[in-house]
Amino acid sequence: MAISADQERLALSRLYSRFGFGPKPGEFETALKNGFQTTKKSFLVKPSTGDIASDTAPLVIDDMGPRPAAGTFAGVEYSVKIREQIRDMTLWWLDQMVTTDYSLNEKMTWFWHGHWATSIEKLNFALPMYKQNNTFRENALGNFSTLSKAMYNDGALQYWLDGQENTAKAPNENLSREFMELFTLGVGRYTEEDVKALARVFTGILVGRTSGDVSFSARRHDSSPVNLLGTTKSFTAQEAIDLLTAREDSFRFVYERLWYRFISSTEDFPAAKSRTAFFGRDVFLAVSDFVDSEYMYDPRYAMVKSPVEWVVGVCRSFGITPSKVKNLQVFSAGLTKLAQVPFAPPNVGGWPAGEAWLTSASAQFRLSLAQTLIKSADLKEFKSMKPAARSLYLQNLLGVYKWSKRTSDALTIARLDPERMVLLAINSPEYVVGA
Amino acid sequence: MDTLSRRRFLALSGGVGAAAATHVLSVNEIADAAISRPLTPGTPILLVVTLYGGNDGLSTVIPYTDSLYYSLRPDISYAPEKVLQLDTTLGLNPAMTGIKSLWDKKKVAIIRGVGYPDSDRSHFSSMAIWQSAERTQTTKSGWLGRWVETQPEDPLLAINLGSVLPPLLVGKKRSGSVLPLGGLVTPSGSLARDCSRLSLPSQGENFLASRAATSLRNLLNISDTISPILKLPVPAAPDLPTINGGNAGGDNNLSQQLDVVAKLVTAGAPTRVWAVSLGGFDTHANEANAQSDLIGIVSSSVTRFLAQLEPSGRSKDVTVLVYSEFGRRVAANASAGTDHGTSGPVFVIGDSVQGGFYGEQPSLKNLFKGDLAVTTDFRDIYASLLEGVLKAPAAQILNGWKGRITSLLRTQ
Repeated sequence: MAISADQERLALSRLYSRFGFGPKPGEFETALKNGFQTTKKSFLVKPSTGDIASDTAPLVIDDMGPRPAAGTFAGVEYSVKIREQIRDMTLWWLDQMVTTDYSLNEKMTWFWHGHWATSIEKLNFALPMYKQNNTFRENALGNFSTLSKAMYNDGALQYWLDGQENTAKAPNENLSREFMELFTLGVGRYTEEDVKALARVFTGILVGRTSGDVSFSARRHDSSPVNLLGTTKSFTAQEAIDLLTAREDSFRFVYERLWYRFISSTEDFPAAKSRTAFFGRDVFLAVSDFVDSEYMYDPRYAMVKSPVEWVVGVCRSFGITPSKVKNLQVFSAGLTKLAQVPFAPPNVGGWPAGEAWLTSASAQFRLSLAQTLIKSADLKEFKSMKPAARSLYLQNLLGVYKWSKRTSDALTIARLDPERMVLLAINSPEYVVGA
Repeated sequence: MDTLSRRRFLALSGGVGAAAATHVLSVNEIADAAISRPLTPGTPILLVVTLYGGNDGLSTVIPYTDSLYYSLRPDISYAPEKVLQLDTTLGLNPAMTGIKSLWDKKKVAIIRGVGYPDSDRSHFSSMAIWQSAERTQTTKSGWLGRWVETQPEDPLLAINLGSVLPPLLVGKKRSGSVLPLGGLVTPSGSLARDCSRLSLPSQGENFLASRAATSLRNLLNISDTISPILKLPVPAAPDLPTINGGNAGGDNNLSQQLDVVAKLVTAGAPTRVWAVSLGGFDTHANEANAQSDLIGIVSSSVTRFLAQLEPSGRSKDVTVLVYSEFGRRVAANASAGTDHGTSGPVFVIGDSVQGGFYGEQPSLKNLFKGDLAVTTDFRDIYASLLEGVLKAPAAQILNGWKGRITSLLRTQ
């Protein structure tokens, strides 16, 4: 199909805001010059383990070890340190999203966090969550089956879904059900009998509470044969996960989830569309498949930025490092009010999408957090330019497809007041909702 | 022209043909109207309490004389003398003293064995079914969102406490509103004017962007109306001891949410549907204390809420619905918890309710693959509440649903 300049701009806007966390200053103009095809090639990068390590700021989280007796000074220090670890880890990840040069990989790390949604609220200790986060980052664009097996051996996920309570004597279905429903197959693509069978296969895991280390206890494991999705045998957990992730339902499910988070949370995935690239379970190919698709140009597929995506996008555009924001407490409270804090999804289904973020309350909290962020923004270049050039500059800086007349009018009225103009731009429907 | 007279002028001219100039003012106009048109006393109000996670029905309404109950749940059962006995077979969880006192006053209907055919044990699917009132997810709207659409447009009509809109209140074109705890800070001065500019409709924009614009518009509207009311003290409940607050909860603190609702209902907010929620019912392990604590919070918060409304006379107008997405498996698992099950009891509470039991208690003898039978369809309850409380066309909202709970509400 012939692509107009307008469509090209739409596709680029979507590329940056959905498959990354928004452009850094200057990036979008360069992309417009180079065109979508060229930009796409440099954007679709699968970093090597070494690249990821050099791109990621180091963070050390100690194993907290056993809790000192209650009521002692050491006990208080222990609690304080846990809180500090969680705060530091959260800011560290936000910094990572803002500064990374591997936007796609980091965005997929965020995607997997929402997919295998595990919350610090139950874990209480930062280290297991940090290890899980690194597993997501290392496998972000890798093989889905490998990731699924790594997640089975993830202490945070196991503890979150009561894996340590699941024993031969006393099966607990929490992990096995979510493993099929939310992680690998999708609801309705297995039976209740399969849930029970997989729970037995998954028995025998022990989790180190503070370290997140996972070990296997043969004594607690049920090795009797089960019938899982039509195959009867004595499965190891790894074999069972291979069976799940090799199913066509699993390919379809991963495509549906990518669709929901990257293309549209309101329109259904056109299931009839045959998607073959994922048959090798290669997530990078599946993501590239979406970037290469006609969906990138289709005006029906608007997407709401979730609060974290919105905050990180603003920080990238205005050179703000989250851990260095001037009023950190207000900043953190702002994210909490917007109901999206990394490492703390509301439940195992992850965060909502779409309209859920468009309530009057979200609008209020976004306005208020924007005011805090602007105090830390680098506005030197913006302030030095002619007022008449400011609207277009913001449009490109934020990677916005097009200002509506309403927003354009509002920006024009505010053009002599740079802070106010930025406030309006980042709270405009066109930025909060990507075309 | 000063603000007030210009506002009056634009109100009189209906704002037609002057959209850009009138918008901020017409928004204020609605806000003024909300304060000047309090809900007529006697107008029925529905309060929906959603328990997220799957509340264990057998630990809520307890078959305390059934020996099977004790043999199937050796570690998590309640002894007969602990249970708050309602009749010779069923009793409430010991933590539910508040609801027991309302039961004694004949204000509590307990509908037993509520669910839907072919139960889905996924939290998400099952909650989606309960909130949409659709067995198969053909619509993406909630049952009360569809009710909102049968009413004249008013952002104060249906309000959820907490900052994220539950599917329950989502309509096809219009939805309910949300109110976070503590209320909203009103944008004022030039910020309010800026916001109203950003909130204007824009031709040809996508649906989600228009919703973002609407949310800014509603922010100006709701915050103007409600913020002054939220500064009032919580109405005191005359016949209940003061409950120690100090609980720094977020959206999870049910009594905090209900405090806000109590203030607003007392002030006469023109809101006919309120939605509050409590999470944490997914008790796969070590259930007894956790579930009892949570259902105790539900019981005491609802009881306190109704008592708080008594001085204003509005307690007579409120009907409370308490539901969860499913009950739990009958047999305990060995983590002293229970896995996802099927049916559970639903509570309907209020002065307008005919207290007593409805629906058949599912048998513990005849289980279906270890689960309780469904004896009442949840849509029967919705239909009865839509017709009896909201005076709304239930069949239209519930896709022609015919079932009702007979004589659930007193005829007025």
